[in-house]
Amino acid sequence: MDQSVAIHETLEREENCKIVSFVLESICPLMYCRIFIYTHRRMAITADDVSLEDIVPISLDFAFVCVLPIVGHDVRIRVSYQEEELELRLPFGSHSRLFLSEVNRAWSGRSAQLSLYKIWTKILLKPMQNSFNLHLPLNSSRGQGISSREERGDLVRSSSHRPSNKAQILAMPQFGLRDNLIRCELLKNEDLYTYLEEFRYFFLGTYNVNGQTPKESLCPWLRCTHNPPDMYCVGFQELDLSKEAFFFNDTPRELEWTKAVSEALHPDAKYALVKLIRLVGIMLTFYVKKEHAEFISDVEAESVGTGIMGRMGNKGAVAIRFRFHNSDICVVNSHLAAHIEEFERRNQDFKDICSRLQFRQFDPTQPQLTIMKHDVILWIGDLNYRISDLDVDNVKELISKKDFETLYNYDQLKRQIDEEAVFVGFVEGEIDFQPTYKYDTGSDKWDTSEKCRVPAWCDRILWRGKNIKQQHYQSHMALKTSDHKPVSSLLVTGVKRVNSEAYKKTFEEIVRNIDKMENECIPSVTLAKQEFHFRDVKYMQHQAETLNIFNDGQVPCQFEFIQKPNELTYCKPWLTANPHKGFIAQDGSVDIELEVFVNRSTASDLNSGKDQIEDILVLHLEHGKDYFISMSGNYLPSCFGTSIHSLCHMREPIQDMPPETLRELVKMSPTENAANPEKPLDIPKELWMMVDHLFRNAIKQEDIFQQPGLKSEFADIRDCLDTGIPDSLPGSNHSVAEALLLFLDALPEPVVPFSLYQQCLESCSNASQCEKVISMLPQCHQNVFNYLSAFLRELLKNSASNRLDVNILATIFASLLLKSPMKQDFSEKRKTQEFFQHFLTEAGH
Amino acid sequence: MAKQYDVLFRLLLLGDSGVGKTCLLCRFTDNEFHPSHISTIGVDFKMKTLLIDGIKVRIQIWDTAGQERYQTITKQYYRRAQGIFLVYDITSERSFQHIMKWASDVDEYAPDKVQKILVGNKSDEVDKRQVATEQGVKLAKAYGMDFFETSAFTNQNITETFTRLAEQVLAANKKDLDLLRVSVNDEINLAALEEDEGLCDNAGGDQGKSCWC
Ligand SMILES: Nc1nc2c(ncn2[C@@H]2O[C@H](COP(=O)(O)OP(=O)(O)OP(=O)(O)O)[C@@H](O)[C@H]2O)c(=O)[nH]1
Ligand SMILES: [Mg+2]
Repeated sequence: MDQSVAIHETLEREENCKIVSFVLESICPLMYCRIFIYTHRRMAITADDVSLEDIVPISLDFAFVCVLPIVGHDVRIRVSYQEEELELRLPFGSHSRLFLSEVNRAWSGRSAQLSLYKIWTKILLKPMQNSFNLHLPLNSSRGQGISSREERGDLVRSSSHRPSNKAQILAMPQFGLRDNLIRCELLKNEDLYTYLEEFRYFFLGTYNVNGQTPKESLCPWLRCTHNPPDMYCVGFQELDLSKEAFFFNDTPRELEWTKAVSEALHPDAKYALVKLIRLVGIMLTFYVKKEHAEFISDVEAESVGTGIMGRMGNKGAVAIRFRFHNSDICVVNSHLAAHIEEFERRNQDFKDICSRLQFRQFDPTQPQLTIMKHDVILWIGDLNYRISDLDVDNVKELISKKDFETLYNYDQLKRQIDEEAVFVGFVEGEIDFQPTYKYDTGSDKWDTSEKCRVPAWCDRILWRGKNIKQQHYQSHMALKTSDHKPVSSLLVTGVKRVNSEAYKKTFEEIVRNIDKMENECIPSVTLAKQEFHFRDVKYMQHQAETLNIFNDGQVPCQFEFIQKPNELTYCKPWLTANPHKGFIAQDGSVDIELEVFVNRSTASDLNSGKDQIEDILVLHLEHGKDYFISMSGNYLPSCFGTSIHSLCHMREPIQDMPPETLRELVKMSPTENAANPEKPLDIPKELWMMVDHLFRNAIKQEDIFQQPGLKSEFADIRDCLDTGIPDSLPGSNHSVAEALLLFLDALPEPVVPFSLYQQCLESCSNASQCEKVISMLPQCHQNVFNYLSAFLRELLKNSASNRLDVNILATIFASLLLKSPMKQDFSEKRKTQEFFQHFLTEAGH
Repeated sequence: MAKQYDVLFRLLLLGDSGVGKTCLLCRFTDNEFHPSHISTIGVDFKMKTLLIDGIKVRIQIWDTAGQERYQTITKQYYRRAQGIFLVYDITSERSFQHIMKWASDVDEYAPDKVQKILVGNKSDEVDKRQVATEQGVKLAKAYGMDFFETSAFTNQNITETFTRLAEQVLAANKKDLDLLRVSVNDEINLAALEEDEGLCDNAGGDQGKSCWC
């Protein structure tokens, strides 16, 4: 009802004040919204004062155009539905804005529900709930056609924020993300803190042992270097061809061959076995010279089967990865598909191994590590590529001539690499040894079996990575255990080492930058003003200030006024911030209306000085800072919202009373008068002034208490009552009548105190009982009650001219004099009216 | 290299208006100094990462309004701090006197385990000194706190002060951290471990999200 006062002032003669209320009722499964239009009889103080006039459903045939608002002016919107067209003028302010944005949201959400329209209209006539009311003057002028939805005003569009924007804000630097960022930056800047160490010697060996046990020393193969290598990576294939090994991956050979390797390592150094991995017959062992052990970390081993059904372990690869100083190294030992014609299958095996073999990461948030992601890849094994397009005799002849260069041109692996079909980016040293396959076991003789296989370089060693040189690449004919000969290679590899000083510096630099970035991304705004002062706040007089928030941060932000501890709301009840939360795009700004409005529920504490126009709001940015906004001001006490008892103790207008007196009067109980030696007034002088004024001027006034008053006149009447200036009440009879109603409505304790309310209901049908209840009222309340009743009876004597009757007066006044401490239902209302009617009829008095 | 893990701490700057809290923070995080006093009206924060004993320690430093009229609100932020800087201005006897009040508020509102450090700022202002270094030392001793005289202007003792408090907080929470270290291999957010009902949490509903935790 608060705003209707304001609206009245602006009404032209033919205009009526209407309440537009927006209701969203959800009727499963559809949501349906409509605008309710109400008419007032007069200023709407109680629900009886309004009646539903029209309902505008927000359906498909609804259209809505908002004329761009000018600050401080009414907002004009044109609404059309079916054939109806209305122009609405909404008072400028946040209520209207909120209303428009709600309507707009409802309208945008409409889908084809046209046919449902009629059904809904019926359901509408239920009591409304969850509605917020907006009062506005309504010109039922029929305008010209309304344009399409696209022309909705900017105001409406900007007032609703979209969820997608919200998601953007949530993209704050996350901790995991941040770690990755640091890692990436460290990797990018590796050159700043690493240096290439003097080269290290990697001995690589591969040997297909054809399921044999070690029968001879491996020294000729593993001890072929002059100096002890730094690392040994020794791989075997066909370690065990038994069914047990195949099905249960279990074989005694593992230990036997490992022992044989350990015994054959270079005698001039001590080695540690770092890792061993085996898949059926494919085994890889990794030894490191003792002094390097401490620089080896992140050791992982994995295997992949590419054999029978593409999965089994009779073919495939095993691999070991590790970090040596700051280099990531991966060694792969593979046994690829056999048979001369199967080279494409071998290519496929290679690809499968590269994609399927993945190492676990220490950090579970990191993606799995594949072979190709390593700085250095060393690939050994029985790759099984053959020599093709040459018959056995030609091959053997070239071998006997040691023309390996010519022979190499027929090597499948060479050809496939040239075609970039396999081992892309890998390097193999020049082959200067005769094919390592296939010999009669125990000899150096080529295969003499029926198959009489073409000799081939099955056993190979390749690498990929920077700063690698091959020292030797050779086969070892002395070993005769298998139908293959073992192959070895010595690679000199550059290793990245970390300069810990430089590392720390780089790390700190990176972290500093990331911190800086992060700090810059903390949402931030500037407030045009952080202190607001509201001067001379008066009862029911709206005051507003604008708080401009500008997003000067580097990210969009979500703001909200948040509660302080132990407080229920973010601000005092006489204050509102509109909107109290929202979204601001980068470089965007939002105007927040800080509105002060003292109504009957907040007036009493302010009148007595118990509450003050003082508050601090906390504006919180999501993931960001908090800002404090101080409100201050002064309130001019008013008889509106002051108790009958207190007023009876004031011989001067309330604003002439010292603040201490006002405070003391509230503390005083209604029965004691000790604080004031003077005899209290019988009734508040303000009440007397209004009633006396009406008695003398309005006793015959047509429609008295039925016609609304004017807001400006109400303000004058209030000021006159509170300051004593001017001597007599200004304003029309209707305005004074309305002021009287508002006065009664604002009493902190109604004329019939809450404590006696129940008794009134019980005795409502019995006139003498009713009188008895009234006699129990505190003296000043009783005086007021009797005085008012007498006045109303006088009015009724003139009902011919003022058109009042007992019913009308009972309806209006019962609701003001007898208020329920709780919600009142309809039957209670009837009882209060019945109660009060006894005092309006002449008989008893 | 050993696996790294992160810790997140929340430190709070307290002290009278004008003692230089905002300047200390600016100097520490951005290495900047602003000679003008723009009073903080609200609660601001910045992030900074430190390496302490090979552990990445991320600290979130909260700068509060020193003005008296905001103190009922700012007190509500103490609860979320693991470390507190009690700052006074060596050129203001009054700001030094008030440390007592600040310290008792901290006792009342901050968690029991909170680490505190006493800071006498503006040590560059030799001529205007009103509080002798010994007074600071004595007070710190009485409270069992460490003490630094700093200057946001000359950058004296800034990193030292912040690092010291961070070290203290780290040490005070060492046991919890070691326990967590086995199970968590990423960041350890100490701030989140504390029962964290920030000022904004009271707003209920989805408000929990709006906290920096
Ligand atoms: N000479 C000197 N001046 C300083 C120093 N630190 C801060 N100031 C000055 O002291 C004034 C106040 O500094 P701020 O950092 O804004 O003070 P604050 O403690 O944040 O104050 P509030 O935000 O009101 O609580 C500013 O004018 C600074 O330039 C310092 O170390 N030496
Ligand atoms: Mg500050």
